[in-house]
Amino acid sequence: MNKSNIISILKKCNLDESTINTSHLLCNIQKEDLQTSIEVLLKEKVSFLTMFAIDERLSSGKYRLDLIFLVLNANSLLTFKIYLDEVKPSYPAISKLIPAAEWFEREIHDMFGIIAEGVDLEPLVLHRDFPHGKYFPMRKDFKLNQEIKISEVPHEFIQPHAEGMHQVAVGPIHAGIIEPGHLRFCTIGEQILDFNAQLFYTHKGIEKSAEGKTIEEGLVLAEHVCGMCSYSHSVAYCQAVESLSKVIIPKRAAYIRTICLELERLNSHLSDLSAICSAGGFAIASMQAASFREKAMQLTSKLTSHRFFRGLNTVGGLKRDIDNDEFESLKNQLQNLKKEFESLEKIIIDSDTLLDRLETTGELSFIQAKKFGIVGPAARASGIDIDLRRDFKYAGYSNFAPVISIETEGDALSRTKIRVKDIYSIFDFIPRIIDKLPIGKIKEEMPELLSATPKEGIGLVESAKGSLIHYVRLDEKNKISRWHVRSASYMNWRGMVQATKGRNIVPDGPLVNKSFNLCYACVDR
Amino acid sequence: MCGQIKEKIMLENLNTEDIKTELSRIEKLDKNTRQALSKSLLIRHLDAGSCNAEEAELLALSNPIYDLTQFGLDFTASPRHADVLTVSGPVTRHLKIAMEKTYNAMPSPKIVIAIGDGACNGSIYEKSYACLGKVDDFLPVDIYIPGDPPTPMQILNGLLLCKKLMSL
Repeated sequence: MNKSNIISILKKCNLDESTINTSHLLCNIQKEDLQTSIEVLLKEKVSFLTMFAIDERLSSGKYRLDLIFLVLNANSLLTFKIYLDEVKPSYPAISKLIPAAEWFEREIHDMFGIIAEGVDLEPLVLHRDFPHGKYFPMRKDFKLNQEIKISEVPHEFIQPHAEGMHQVAVGPIHAGIIEPGHLRFCTIGEQILDFNAQLFYTHKGIEKSAEGKTIEEGLVLAEHVCGMCSYSHSVAYCQAVESLSKVIIPKRAAYIRTICLELERLNSHLSDLSAICSAGGFAIASMQAASFREKAMQLTSKLTSHRFFRGLNTVGGLKRDIDNDEFESLKNQLQNLKKEFESLEKIIIDSDTLLDRLETTGELSFIQAKKFGIVGPAARASGIDIDLRRDFKYAGYSNFAPVISIETEGDALSRTKIRVKDIYSIFDFIPRIIDKLPIGKIKEEMPELLSATPKEGIGLVESAKGSLIHYVRLDEKNKISRWHVRSASYMNWRGMVQATKGRNIVPDGPLVNKSFNLCYACVDR
Repeated sequence: MCGQIKEKIMLENLNTEDIKTELSRIEKLDKNTRQALSKSLLIRHLDAGSCNAEEAELLALSNPIYDLTQFGLDFTASPRHADVLTVSGPVTRHLKIAMEKTYNAMPSPKIVIAIGDGACNGSIYEKSYACLGKVDDFLPVDIYIPGDPPTPMQILNGLLLCKKLMSL
């Protein structure tokens, strides 16, 4: 489907459509027309990306709600913009049409007090002891340092209610070194009957604290949203701000960013493989993958001077150049790592005991994955062919097409296989870019930022865990007035919960969890 | 590769003088207790709200390259078995109670090590309705290992320093 098709469809719904730039369409929608417009739109090839609210009461006296879709095969974004009244702001629930929007509705309710009509809005981001309904942290009149009493109010889970049923509570402080989250298994014998999670333990209010900060300060915050996806967040943020200007970043900077994004994917996938093998009780492969990961991290550190790529990016390109010799050495090291990895792959794929654990564990069907809007390797393991590196080209991906592999089973084994295939494709992909790496400057000044209208930018990146979106809005002094982050794990958590509920036993729980290997920090912010 | 790490660390080069003022609590422990702990330390890690980079680096300590156990250090699943509590932060409002419960569940003597800038000084995260700041506002911290995040090598150095102080 191309862009003119989309415009003609939008005309059918009598929408007031305008263009932000060549790859971004914007529609103002009346609250009453929202559901019919979405119904029409969903018949086309679009994918729901994110939804967020903005407090515009100071300028227009209203709240604003933005829904962003990716138009597949058109390299284009589509935004629905709805203005909501200041008094009792509400809109018809979207999650009835797009189930993936459920968490977004609950988060917007927690943070802004905006109500999605017709659905149950359980607290999500702010825990039970937070004075809901009294304070709304993302509203402009809420002061960041507002003191709020902390007390212990347990989360409500479905309690076991029949003979032979048990409850297994895990976390928020886990036995292993993982991030905090409270998980509740409801079991009958060994079988998992129900599974639910209470997250947002590491919620630090980063989005709120960025308000009023400069662009560069915002970048540092973006790098610290999550450690594992640190560079993806940083690139997405930079792209969001860069999209405000017509300046295109230098080719060398774009290519180096692409190399680093792929390196981060390598680090993350190796760590995931190690975790999967460890959860499957296969120590040899787990330890080997862990040591490969350490080697990859050391390569990263040698190349960028930081093990998590921090301090490399800046708006307009890179802060410092990397020597070409470093890239040549990286190429050689990756070749060595590839040879070693081949033996590890053999161990994993030939091990019957591990395969027995992985096969049919944590199944997530194509339909379920579509329903929850799953992204990244988890989506590709369930047969959904979506990847922003191909569907919304950015940085160096418009010149170099990565191999995007698909599996159809949707079980833990498929997710493992996707990672193995991805790792092989990275080993070939990075040298291809290094061979074509141009010389030249690495940073472009962004003079138009001050005069751009509207000062709203969107950055999209396919992180190791899936698509990741940053929305940045600047005020007239070029300070951040709203920053929204939607990470890949935010979309995938509900899919993971669904996959755990399937035909699994309690010891499969960690394995399903690790086969998704979701970040908590990314989700909680 | 394990040998390499041991060479790099060089236990005798660890300088305890630098941080002695900070370590009054460890020094106050009686000699027998310290001697008992000087051979091995069990660590319980607690994420009080970090960005997960600290966790990734701590996890790296158990890989074959660093192999934490060769130094008489290991991670334990329960705070009740732990001598050392490592905390990465900053402390969030949602984890404050869980953090205090974990600390209280530990048997005495309790050694607390703050790992990463977030835990040591609050890092870039502003104090807010959700973020309460550095760890030593809530727990008595004995050793600080700053870094954004500290590398596995730096964490290992900090842990070994702690062990060495026990044997003095």
